[in-house]
Amino acid sequence: MPPQITRLVYLTLAIVAVYFLARGFLVPASFGQYGWYRGNALKEIAALPIRYAGRAACAECHEEAAERLAKGSHQGLSCEACHGPGAAHAEDPAEAAPKPENSRFCLRCHEFNLSRPAKFPQVEADDHFPDQKCAECHAPHSPMQAPEDASKRNAKPVKK
Amino acid sequence: MPPELRESLLEALQHVQGYIYPNDVSLGWSVVIVVYPYITGLVAGAFILASLVRVFHVKALEPTYRLSLLTALAFLIVAPLPLLVHLGHPERCYEVMMTPHATSPMAIFGFVYAWYLMAVLLLELWFDYRRSFVEWAKASAGFKRLLYRVLTLGVEDVSPAAIQLDEKLGRFITVIGIPSAFLLHGYVGFIFGSVKANPWWGTVLMPIIFIFSAMVSGIALLMFLYLVISRLRRVPVDMGCLRAIGTFLLSALVLDAAVETLDWIHRLYEAEESLEVLVLLASGKLFFSFFLVQVLLGTIAPLAMLGATQVFKERISLRLQKSLYLVSSLLILIGVFAMRWNVVIGGQLFSKSLRGFTTYKIALVGQEGLLMAVVLMILPFLLLIGLVKFFDPWNTRETPPATT
Repeated sequence: MPPQITRLVYLTLAIVAVYFLARGFLVPASFGQYGWYRGNALKEIAALPIRYAGRAACAECHEEAAERLAKGSHQGLSCEACHGPGAAHAEDPAEAAPKPENSRFCLRCHEFNLSRPAKFPQVEADDHFPDQKCAECHAPHSPMQAPEDASKRNAKPVKK
Repeated sequence: MPPELRESLLEALQHVQGYIYPNDVSLGWSVVIVVYPYITGLVAGAFILASLVRVFHVKALEPTYRLSLLTALAFLIVAPLPLLVHLGHPERCYEVMMTPHATSPMAIFGFVYAWYLMAVLLLELWFDYRRSFVEWAKASAGFKRLLYRVLTLGVEDVSPAAIQLDEKLGRFITVIGIPSAFLLHGYVGFIFGSVKANPWWGTVLMPIIFIFSAMVSGIALLMFLYLVISRLRRVPVDMGCLRAIGTFLLSALVLDAAVETLDWIHRLYEAEESLEVLVLLASGKLFFSFFLVQVLLGTIAPLAMLGATQVFKERISLRLQKSLYLVSSLLILIGVFAMRWNVVIGGQLFSKSLRGFTTYKIALVGQEGLLMAVVLMILPFLLLIGLVKFFDPWNTRETPPATT
């Protein structure tokens, strides 16, 4: 056989071999077990370390805060929704407690958005005391207890 | 809602007209997706021009044969980059090839691309250049010697029998390459043509329109490059070659214009419910890029100019002929880009309600901005400069190309 062809056949075989070798390394072992995805996907996710402790675990120590939260309008929220994952702190109280999110986090729900129900408390962040943090006026565990003057000044639902 | 998102939404809402669904306000495919079919079209067109020499023995085109192949290679290397830029996460790009799914157009593109690059273009280049590699390796030193030697793949036989075999195999590869080039670019047309929910795209003529426009743009690019490079090299332009390119370009342009006109006649005669919005789109939002750039500047003007070079070739001076070829090739390149723009962007400007329009505002910077598109368009030319330096398409003698 002419050398041109033999060399090209070798080169092609080498490329195909590299492809299958790469597949051997790069395709996850459980891929295709049930379908076009990793069969172990759920197991792998289940094996991830637990980061959230849950509201009940927080209430075991932070009874007062939990009670206030249960009575306020944020009662539907979990503690860790604002404070961040606290499993490590719940396991060992000596571990630093998670820090509450900043004001931008409040705006995820309370920034004005036309598609939100009109009665839902919403503000234009740029107009509503832009230099202050939300928690300086609003008590996050019971947000309706905001200081009288502040809540009456501009916290009404914004109408556009 | 994050303030910046709200800002952009409020701004976008000022630019919509009529009834538009919320998910039709902003465009999913931006200017980089315009660049993508443009580049693959140039590859296919350049390759088809080269194949005219190999398969159909059009001797007049020989001066551009190797340049066509190198141009196709330079643009083919850049072809997947717009997709990588658009999709993000380039570190995961291999996954589509590692676990390909038969129903995934992206995965199939990976294989069509790999086939075209490795089984067609590189093979054809190798068979054509092997003799030169052997001779250049002997006549050069250092890195270049090593490069040329590696590229010979150890086959250093340059006997007439071996060269004849190279020729034969090269022609065989080109015969396979023509349908492959059609497949590569027909696939791009298929991506749009198969979107049955979009009346601007969803036509079976789309792959054919893309193939013809690819041929037009590729041949125009080669004509432009041949004229510019001859000027830079200070060598006279081979008028026989230029006229041959001009004839093929004119024929391809006539075919392309005919198919696109046919598409419009078909749409107008069928007069489906979407026609009204499509006519409004073409005559309104796309008036500049469709009627003025694509039709007038990119099709009618070059048709007239190329036609004039054919009809009055005895009566007009060579200088004027060259100018007409240069201007018409440039206009065609701009026109085909406008065609890609009209397909990709135009197809997203009207709402699925068929009752409203949105606006595409091109960003200057950013992942999908104008600058990125410009970089993606410049990149293949830079690559081509490098390829021409190392694999001098005009040097078939024993001296290696001077790369300094």
